Amino acid sequence: MLYRTAGQFKTSYVADQALFTVKQDAFLLGIILLLGWVVFPLTASEFTFQTLLIPILIYALAAMGLNILTGFAGQLSLGTGAFMGVGAYACYKMVTLFPWMNPIIAILLSGVFSAGIGVAFGVPSLRIKGFYLAIATLAAQFFLVWLFEKWSWLYNYNASGAIQVPNLEMFGVFVSGPQAASVTEYYIVLFVVTLLTLLCINLTRGNLGRTWKATRDMDIAAELIGINLMKSKLTAFAVSSYVVGVAGALYVFMWKGAAEPNVFDIPLSFQVLFIAIIGGLGSIMGNYLGAILIVGLPVVLNVVAGTQVFQMSALGAAVLVALVAAVAFLGWVARNGWTIGAVAGFAVLTLIYGYAQTQGFRIDSALIEHINVMIIGALIIFFLIIEPHGLNQLWRLIREKLIIWPFPH
Amino acid sequence: MKHFTKLAAAAALGTLLGTAAVAQELYTPNLAYRTGPFAATGIPLMNGQADYMALLNERDGGVGGVLINAEECETGYSTEKGVECYEKTKGTAIVTQPWSTGITLQVLPKTNVDEIPILAPGYGFSPMADGKVFQWAFNMPAGYWDAADMIVQYLEGEGGSLSGKKIAFLHLDHPFGKEPLPVLEMHAANKGFELLPIPVGLKEMQNQSAQWLQIRRERPDYVVMWGWGAMNAGAITEAVKTKFPMENFIGVWWAGHDADLKLVGEDGKGYKSISWSFPNPDAPVMKQVKEMVFDKGLSQSNEEEMQGVFYGRGLVMSAILAEAIANAQSNFGTAEIDATQLRWGLENINLTEDRIAELGMEGMVPPFSTSCANHTGHSGGWMLEWDGAKFVKASDLLTPNVDGYSELIQSSASEYATANAPWAMNEECSATN
Repeated sequence: MLYRTAGQFKTSYVADQALFTVKQDAFLLGIILLLGWVVFPLTASEFTFQTLLIPILIYALAAMGLNILTGFAGQLSLGTGAFMGVGAYACYKMVTLFPWMNPIIAILLSGVFSAGIGVAFGVPSLRIKGFYLAIATLAAQFFLVWLFEKWSWLYNYNASGAIQVPNLEMFGVFVSGPQAASVTEYYIVLFVVTLLTLLCINLTRGNLGRTWKATRDMDIAAELIGINLMKSKLTAFAVSSYVVGVAGALYVFMWKGAAEPNVFDIPLSFQVLFIAIIGGLGSIMGNYLGAILIVGLPVVLNVVAGTQVFQMSALGAAVLVALVAAVAFLGWVARNGWTIGAVAGFAVLTLIYGYAQTQGFRIDSALIEHINVMIIGALIIFFLIIEPHGLNQLWRLIREKLIIWPFPH
Repeated sequence: MKHFTKLAAAAALGTLLGTAAVAQELYTPNLAYRTGPFAATGIPLMNGQADYMALLNERDGGVGGVLINAEECETGYSTEKGVECYEKTKGTAIVTQPWSTGITLQVLPKTNVDEIPILAPGYGFSPMADGKVFQWAFNMPAGYWDAADMIVQYLEGEGGSLSGKKIAFLHLDHPFGKEPLPVLEMHAANKGFELLPIPVGLKEMQNQSAQWLQIRRERPDYVVMWGWGAMNAGAITEAVKTKFPMENFIGVWWAGHDADLKLVGEDGKGYKSISWSFPNPDAPVMKQVKEMVFDKGLSQSNEEEMQGVFYGRGLVMSAILAEAIANAQSNFGTAEIDATQLRWGLENINLTEDRIAELGMEGMVPPFSTSCANHTGHSGGWMLEWDGAKFVKASDLLTPNVDGYSELIQSSASEYATANAPWAMNEECSATN
């Protein structure tokens, strides 16, 4: 009904190849862009900017960079964190060496440095594949973080060994550093992320994207049909590292404000990799969905768990979930064991929690944190079980169903 | 269903009571870490801090008649979570306590814009001592540069001139571990000893065999350690294993955790740690906490932990904050002070021997005072020594010779301010450091 495609005829090959073959998709994107560009900035609080909007966008961008390499070109990389670090340190050196430089230009240029480093570490991919390549990129991860620690020129010989973002101005407005308003930082992040997303969508749909996909699916076959593997793999490394490097520069300049070398250590690489996997390898939109789940959800859960409203509504939720679980249990018990298990488990947990609340059991912040980690972990497992190809595929299935709704086939 | 109604009613009532209590309290959030890799050292400190505030609420009804809400926000020592906590709490908070060096580095420039005092007792950035530049940051009662100076003083007092000796500086390869290097280097140049910095990477904290092999080869006269978390236990067990003479092994105050030493017990005898706090079991405040907080079940601590150095330090930290609140309240004539007023309170702390006795904390913290120019207080400290079962005081009160590096404090502070220009400074302050 919402996704009715009746009456939308494609009369040319161009129309068939268009970005939005269904009108509603363009409409939906319009709404999202409107939310991102107008509604959120007008309504968000400082907290929302700093803990949800800005980090989700930055992580989504980093995951998108990785997705180009791993999802589209099929080259596994565990060095994302270090490549983000290259972007961040390059940007730091540029703005401190040339204070007159426009910060956005500096951020966009910093990706060039990480692209160079990325290509250098991508050279082994010409000879090795799969897990072996992952280990080669892991070497990049360790080496680069070590370099950030030892090469004091990179952090301007600061005694602390950390880089501190200076207050940068653009047209008389502070755009980075502690003096910058969150909304300014948000708009810059949004601008850069929109720009690079547009670039990535078009690259992956174009000639280059097809050579990447061919390389991913079967490199020997790709070579036989005349694809230059070296060019294909190295461009993937270059574009991917460029996007990741820009994400790294944004990460420090528009969000963290300061960073010590170990920020770029392997946990960051894994986090970005998980976002890409949960979101869906080989997709653009999946990166955003993954970032919302992995970066945004813990913050939301934390806030919700801490509010008074939650303590009251926990009970309502418990009753509701119990009812849902009961209905679900009766309905689909044989058909869909996993869903049932998850829903029932959640219902039982909520019931226990609601009961404990009324018995005067105070939940402290460390416990919330533990529960939070468990919930996020459970959700990741849940989503990967119901759809191993990630959230993007889940959305695609929902969309397909919506298009033919109310008919099942 | 009747049962559910009852539950719902109880929840609703709790909510109402909760909202009613919000109006009259002073919100002093603590960015705690009871989870993550550093939790073992964090928990006793957090318990000490929380228990002292609980004691004030129980015994005196808060400070100046207003209850203290010392809620914790869990960071797990991660900078991202720390910034999240800072943003979440800064709305109504009158102070922020960031804990990790990483979080402090990120929050420090923000507090200068948001105008919230940052209280980092005994940690953070040493140049924060310069109150004219870092008008919102406080690291009383002593900073890392004080610690380095006191350790050098102590070594001189024990073994005579340091000229020609060799001191290994085993440190975490992280902003925190590099912090005392400028002062140690200065002393090495002036006093003619050889300083040998040995970094321990974050990934090598638990396995320091390479570092200790180097120490064995170099045969230093002393090992000075700037360690935290798992690094301390790793270093101490490794020192015992390589039979390094423990009496020549000295740690900073964060390397004086009872649990780390209990791992080696008798073998750790002689290990020292400089400290600005001491868990005096005879101090009245310890008894009161036991009676009015612990016995009532308001504490998350346990008997053994409460004897330790870190728990006592937590009590001292909260006492300093409470003292600042009381100061501000009496100066501004209002019980519900705001962040700016608390800053005045923090700048005018005068903990004399008498005042410390009044608080029931004799021997737990050295006397010190702050001013608008001096945000550290430079209280000095005691050298604590592990006697095989607990830490005991091994020296009289040592006081740092701040004149030796006051120029360094000022130049580093102004360097920071220039790098972060425009940086709001306290121009009105006329006192000298």
